[in-house]
Amino acid sequence: MFQRLDTAATPTRHVQVWLDGEPHRVAETLTVAAAVLQLRGWQGYRRHVDGTPRAPLCMMGVCQECLITIDGCANRQGCLEPVAEGMRIERQGGDIHDG
Amino acid sequence: MMAESRNADIAIVGAGPAGMAAAVTLADAGYRPTVFDMNAAPGGQIYRQLHAPQASDAVMGKDYRRGRELLDAFLQADIDHRPGSRVWWADNDASGTALGVLARGQTQRWQARQLILAGGAMERGWPFRGWQLPGVMNAGAAQILLKQGALVPSIPPVLAGSGPLLYLLAWQYLRAARPPALILDVAPARRYGEVLHQVHRAWLGRDYLLKGARLIGALKRAGVPIRQGITALEAEGDTAVERVRYRHKGRWHTQPSELLLTHFGVTPEPQLARSLGLEHVWHAGQQCFVPRRDATLAAGTNLWIAGDGGGIGGALNAEREGRLVALSLLENEQRTTAEQRREGQALLAARRRDLEARCLLERLFRLPESWLDDQSAETLVCRCESVSRGELDLAITQGGAGPNQLKAFTRCGMGPCQGRQCGESVTRLLAQRLGGTPDAVGYYHIRPPVHSITLGELAAREASRA
Repeated sequence: MFQRLDTAATPTRHVQVWLDGEPHRVAETLTVAAAVLQLRGWQGYRRHVDGTPRAPLCMMGVCQECLITIDGCANRQGCLEPVAEGMRIERQGGDIHDG
Repeated sequence: MMAESRNADIAIVGAGPAGMAAAVTLADAGYRPTVFDMNAAPGGQIYRQLHAPQASDAVMGKDYRRGRELLDAFLQADIDHRPGSRVWWADNDASGTALGVLARGQTQRWQARQLILAGGAMERGWPFRGWQLPGVMNAGAAQILLKQGALVPSIPPVLAGSGPLLYLLAWQYLRAARPPALILDVAPARRYGEVLHQVHRAWLGRDYLLKGARLIGALKRAGVPIRQGITALEAEGDTAVERVRYRHKGRWHTQPSELLLTHFGVTPEPQLARSLGLEHVWHAGQQCFVPRRDATLAAGTNLWIAGDGGGIGGALNAEREGRLVALSLLENEQRTTAEQRREGQALLAARRRDLEARCLLERLFRLPESWLDDQSAETLVCRCESVSRGELDLAITQGGAGPNQLKAFTRCGMGPCQGRQCGESVTRLLAQRLGGTPDAVGYYHIRPPVHSITLGELAAREASRA
């Protein structure tokens, strides 16, 4: 998991997102992938097409390991999409391991 | 196919230091450049979130804050800044460049008279056994989390690889009172002595060397263990990393850890330049391909490349090259003043000195070209299509003589990252096996779309011009 330092430098608004059906409040500066790494960590982030577990590698739009379902659209690059109020985020095969 | 074009007199791709500096310089000269950037805010990776910093200055260090002046100038200038825009297609001819831009789920067609590519660098894909496991992340990715939301690992990570970023991130974690468990440096300790013998370069590069010495000194004083000269690295675990294995002084060691942050240097993000068919040459010092540019940083007709996307020079050099490209472009249009021409000469001289000094860093953090040969056969090279080194070896034995043949044989490079993570590993492997140079081996043919785009997004083109 990743944790937010409590000495953050700029007061930052938080937004509510829904991750796998559960509500959470996260800093609005985060991208979807960053929010998931804070809320759930890298375990169970994504299941790859070959069946192996995967998680974000680069966080800058290069590796495509952060693919995730956002507001019902599958395979969005989670590291490029900023979080937004009311956003629904679903990990792809995370806890379900359904390949 | 697509709707009528929007026109941009000068288009810039990327809003990192190079793109921002080019845009500000052009805006000062009376132009209004259009800047396309993938991210939500300007700054690139180096100055990410600097408009509203999340981690404190005490944690980030002063180099991060250094971008503030440029960022403010960019935000205040009259620039058509288009955040959240991915340039997924480009086609260049004598009249300019046509661009396909994906923004807010719609695709737009643009026609740019002049194009400046300032797409920056990416962390080098550097395969080792287990690098696809959750719990292995790039050190740069971890630093992005720090910048984006003051996020730090909840457990002390192992940091491994080579390059200044490894020590900078370790130092930042230390400043945040979250020191790493262990640092594994590929560079042997003797290298640090060797580079000091290059007296002229060491003098030119004294700022880099002193900065590095300060970071390493602080980490050592804090008791962070550092192993220099590791020769192999592996991540092991069932569904995520559980332990890190490494070879040091000829012996294997195991460190239990659930988070391994690796960094093996950076390379130009190649996709758009490659898809435009620009010539690339292997840079032996930087150990990667770089696009060919002339002395004015032009890479084609009405086409320029500034910053790390044209070869690795770091943030300050990227800013310098952004200004240089803008001045070259103005000179081309006979719009420069005598003062600007003098400024251009001074920038070129500073660039020469800086790049000369950076040869030291290249030497210091040089990666072993034979690394991939030492990996076990099951090591994934292409993560997207799960192609191992063993499968690539077999394909080479069966007659795969080039990157595009290996692609056809094994599907390496055909996944969603489009070869960004494996391309140069495949070139390197072929060069080793066939005894050729990377230039002779070449690289994948890169074709648009260079970003993933759905058919729906392609179809949802703008109904009318804005």
